[in-house]
Amino acid sequence: MTVIPYIFTAVLIILSLIIQGHPSFDVISIAGVKPDLLFILIVYLAYSFGSFYGEVTGFISGLLHDAISNAPLGFLTFPKMALGFIAGMFGRSIIKSNIITVSLIIFIASLIKGLITLILAYIFHQASISTVISIILPEAFYNALIAPPLFFIFDKIYEKELEREGF
Amino acid sequence: MEFFIRNRNIVAFVGFTLFCIVSLSIQSTTFVFTLEGIGSAFMSPFQKAYDGIQGGMGRLWAGFTELNEVREELRKTREKLQQYESIAEELNEIRYENDHLRKILNLSERIGYESIPASIIAQDPDNWFRTLIINRGKSDGVMVNMPVVAYKEDDKAVVGKVVEVRGSISRILPIISSDIRVGIKLGEGREPGLLYGASSNANVCVIDYISRAVPVKFNEPVITSGQGGVFPAGLSIGTVIKSEVLESSAYQRIIVKPVIDFNHLEEVFIIKKEPDKELLQIFGEVE
Repeated sequence: MTVIPYIFTAVLIILSLIIQGHPSFDVISIAGVKPDLLFILIVYLAYSFGSFYGEVTGFISGLLHDAISNAPLGFLTFPKMALGFIAGMFGRSIIKSNIITVSLIIFIASLIKGLITLILAYIFHQASISTVISIILPEAFYNALIAPPLFFIFDKIYEKELEREGF
Repeated sequence: MEFFIRNRNIVAFVGFTLFCIVSLSIQSTTFVFTLEGIGSAFMSPFQKAYDGIQGGMGRLWAGFTELNEVREELRKTREKLQQYESIAEELNEIRYENDHLRKILNLSERIGYESIPASIIAQDPDNWFRTLIINRGKSDGVMVNMPVVAYKEDDKAVVGKVVEVRGSISRILPIISSDIRVGIKLGEGREPGLLYGASSNANVCVIDYISRAVPVKFNEPVITSGQGGVFPAGLSIGTVIKSEVLESSAYQRIIVKPVIDFNHLEEVFIIKKEPDKELLQIFGEVE
């Protein structure tokens, strides 16, 4: 890879964190739940460029996410990094990209991320099983809903890099 | 070396996992705090810049569209000002009378606190936590455990407390967070209880430890008790909207709607009240 995609990735990570954290973004939250743009980006990168790129991006962006959140360091990092690693195993060469597969990948990945976070919350913070209904499921649906247009935008941003990879 | 390069996916995964487990296990240490500080310092200029741009654009647009609304607001404000001027004279009389009675009863004077105005520049970017980030920090005299209030129309009410302070930003834990614990008094009977956020995505609070025998009315006010060492006594929190009696518990579960609308909260005031360290040590996590 050249330097340009790394710059794109860094800009997209910062942009996602700013948008997700700014009060003006509350407008699009449904029943108090916001979509996780950063997570969708990580899954996209893992799905397109492999496990290594996914897990490294998940780790670095997760650390930034933890730093600006009230979460203990590692709490939001680990699920993102783990899903970056797992999603990279089911890359574009195995699952072809279309609206249904993209939504399905993001939905399942979001559910797994939510469950890992819930387990970490039980061990290191405080948790309630009701979060499956109040956070994990709504967030997974919301992420799956906005993933196809976001994947389309990311495809345009990383067009040259995808061509180089043979997609 | 070749092994690491060939299996870099697995090696990186194991390394990152170990890092996460270690950092989660050693929470609140200087190492973790420094790492978080670096991340926070890296992100805060971007957050401030975005907030500035968004605010500027909003004000520019408001300049075009809100002129009539501003005129109407001005008319209403003038009317209110006239009312307040007459109240002020009455208030001086009452204050004098109050001071006089306090002296007779040998009560100590109430202490007024200074406050620091602040704007909310960001929220917690994740659905699991509910904190607010403000543009005031250590350099402005903000300290951990200082209470934070805001105004809704003419009512002053509790927003939360400061839980983290850095150079020019601070983090507030709002009363709708399930991580907070606030000592309260309920209604005219001044029943003591403990308040915390109901869930991660609802803007209501729950009061615990109110006996089932206590009659609770709809719309009863909830105020701070002042007994936890953080919040001064008598600050408004919200009103009762529901009371649930569970068969399995000796207490009622009371749902409270906060005065502050957390969806539209932009400006807050940090009360410069140093926390009572002795009380905080006794109560531990409470308040």
